[in-house]
Amino acid sequence: MAARRFPCICLTVVFLAMIAVVAVSQIALELRAGGPPQIAELFRQKPTRANLRRLESSLESGCRIGQMVRPWMQLARFVLLEDAGDNAILGRDGWFFYRPAVQYLIEPWSPEGGQTQGNVFDAIISFRDGLAKRGIQLLVMLAPNKASVYPEMLADRAGEHAGPINATTTDIVTRLKQAGVEIVDLFEVYDLAKRRAGSPACYLAQDSHWSPDGMRLAAEAVANRLVDLGWIEKRPTRYETRSARVERHGDVLRMMRVPQVERLFEPQRMDCTQVVDAETGQLYADDPNSPVLVLGDSFLRIFERDEPGSGGFVAHLASNLGFGLSSIVSDGGASTLVRQQLARRPALLRGKTVVVWEFVERDFRFGTEGWQRVPLPPE
Amino acid sequence: MAFSSHIFLFYFLPVLLALYHMLPARWLAARNVLLLVAGYVFYAWIDPRLTLLLFGLTVVNYALSRLLAGSSTRRVRLLTTAGAIALDLVVLGIFKYTAFLGESLNSLLRFAGRDTLPILRIVLPVGISFYTFKVISYVVDVYRGRSPAARSLLDFACYVSFFPQLLSGPIQRFGTIDAKGEIVPTFADQLRTRWRTPNTFSHGVALFMLGFAKKILLADGVAQVADAVFAAASPGTLDAWFGALAYSFQLYFDFSAYSEMAIGIGLMFGFDCPRNFDAPYRADSFGGFWRRWHITLSGWLRDYLYIPLGGNRAGTGRTYINLMIVFLLCGLWHGAGWTFIVWGAWHGAWLVVERLLGRRPFYAFLPSPVRVLVTFLLITVGWVIFRAPDLAEAGRMLAIMFVPQSAQGGSTLLSAVIYTRGHLIVMALCAVLVSQPLQGCDWTGRLHWAKVPVLIVLFALALMTMFAQSFRSFLYFQF
Repeated sequence: MAARRFPCICLTVVFLAMIAVVAVSQIALELRAGGPPQIAELFRQKPTRANLRRLESSLESGCRIGQMVRPWMQLARFVLLEDAGDNAILGRDGWFFYRPAVQYLIEPWSPEGGQTQGNVFDAIISFRDGLAKRGIQLLVMLAPNKASVYPEMLADRAGEHAGPINATTTDIVTRLKQAGVEIVDLFEVYDLAKRRAGSPACYLAQDSHWSPDGMRLAAEAVANRLVDLGWIEKRPTRYETRSARVERHGDVLRMMRVPQVERLFEPQRMDCTQVVDAETGQLYADDPNSPVLVLGDSFLRIFERDEPGSGGFVAHLASNLGFGLSSIVSDGGASTLVRQQLARRPALLRGKTVVVWEFVERDFRFGTEGWQRVPLPPE
Repeated sequence: MAFSSHIFLFYFLPVLLALYHMLPARWLAARNVLLLVAGYVFYAWIDPRLTLLLFGLTVVNYALSRLLAGSSTRRVRLLTTAGAIALDLVVLGIFKYTAFLGESLNSLLRFAGRDTLPILRIVLPVGISFYTFKVISYVVDVYRGRSPAARSLLDFACYVSFFPQLLSGPIQRFGTIDAKGEIVPTFADQLRTRWRTPNTFSHGVALFMLGFAKKILLADGVAQVADAVFAAASPGTLDAWFGALAYSFQLYFDFSAYSEMAIGIGLMFGFDCPRNFDAPYRADSFGGFWRRWHITLSGWLRDYLYIPLGGNRAGTGRTYINLMIVFLLCGLWHGAGWTFIVWGAWHGAWLVVERLLGRRPFYAFLPSPVRVLVTFLLITVGWVIFRAPDLAEAGRMLAIMFVPQSAQGGSTLLSAVIYTRGHLIVMALCAVLVSQPLQGCDWTGRLHWAKVPVLIVLFALALMTMFAQSFRSFLYFQF
């Protein structure tokens, strides 16, 4: 009898220890840190649904044992199960893809489905019309999802598929073009680049963003379009470029927030080119008096405000056009937030003749704050 | 509060276990009060306002049951019972079916070219389908004289709000037992007498650990596959079947895990709860499936709906009609939508076919493993209807499953999301586990040294996985 009871007692003790240790250690650590335990919030605030959810969420995210265990568990899941977590998907040859961007391509979605705040057509066309009333032209540049350009790096069968990967995007772009919105088609540009044998990838393996080469192609395409449209005249460039090599892990890999997984991969090596003023030798800097304003998201930030600096899209567009530009960058917020920032900074629109608006493809569905109509700043 | 949530596992459960077992065993009333308070705290955690509904239903049903028990006039007893049932169903109807009825009415109005009506959208209180069925079974049992009325409001409130069963069952009866289900003491008896040993407690612990591991390691794993496939625009036939199978596994492992955890927690507090599953995907017919799947609901539908409708005593034709009525309502109980009704009709129709063939499926001539496989695939087809947001979507998915095609457009990327090493391993594990007869309740019943490390490793692995992945609620909460 005792022989049968002993495993029962052992199991019970281990179980109770396992469920008790989390709260006890958490409370002890919080008391030792000098503050009240987080769970005491339960008795300090009104027990509304919202307060309870907030408390529950902060208990989960603040759990020290959880924080300690999480990276090791994620490492084990990554190594054993190829599970890259909630934000990333592991592709071929060490390529990582941003999960929401892939989700955008897989799931059916309609811009009229009411899933986003506001309406993409209304937001873009009203912005274009508002600018036109002030004599400013709008050029839209859609940054493709990495998986739209390199589907074969995610799934073999996607590479063999004949039709478009992103039918909804194609449809939206067509409708915007029909409405007279000028759009730079980077899908075409990158498709051509991919077909050129030996050409470097337009996207970074561990990142959701374009590579230095992809970015340069985009800057050239936009510059050419602006000139072709007659909106801008190219000036003799006052810039020259210099090489700069950057090594770092990509943003998708870092989104896993597991340093142990990052250490499994070599940092990606990026051969960038910084734009410098030929006369002063200073790195490219925005010119608030430029006739061109560039709005966009992290695709504008990479290489420009990140390492190596002044080597991103804005600097290269400036180099292509021959003069400095103004820019507003809002990470993940190119659908609405960047225009809201513009609305708060009326000076930035003064003297402008062209606005280049960049946003990433997935933002059609997942853009922060959706696609709201945002009034232009007062003249 | 879900059993697999941080707050339940690391705060609510340890604190409650400590408080409960610090009370001397002879202070049963005090322990019951503690469980009552725990039930309300547990429910209030979702939304404190919901406790008013729970309390209101409890008080009204208790009062009516006292009236019922105190009356010997048949007419009064009948009226009281009918009144209580009507009230419970009206409450359930208002909270669960108002929007569905409104939308259906609007569809008719649109069809007739009339103006549509505004639809009142009410938040569905989690668990309402389960606790209304519990109170209805109680009132009917008291009316039938099979169960005494609860001795006190405390007893009855304790029964209704018993937190392990509150959100998703098992649907345990108050004063009677399901004679065809697992024989456990009635809840009323257990409120008065709970003889427990450390072995009973550890059985509960083992069952809870196993259920928790099933939920986190299996159900949540296959859920990612099912979610991805059902959300895809144009998956291929193979993808669709893979997703449909994943959903079949998800439903079983999610719900049976919940039931095992509920039974396990019950045991830790000295309560025996009836089991809810018995290897349902090993059934070789629809009749067999319903004897193994959500057993307490099947028993409830049989005793409180099918038999009162006349069961199989009123002729063959009437039996078929009764079966269809029961399963249409079973579908409607699961959710307010046409997909659920059609799912109920799917099951009802197959049961009628089996009755027509002498309680045998039309494929009874096949060898047993093939019969099991055919039954499982037919049930999986039913789950596709059950899972779809509407009938059009169900039809689209079934068409993909049965008309061979390859993935189109962006859905070609689905293979990178669903056929990962992790998902393939979990799916294979699920397939192996559903096809073996041993159930968690039995496996944990007799603990010995070999099982202890297995349970500890599984539980630890599940806890660590819980820390590393997003929280996913139990599927049956939405019903």
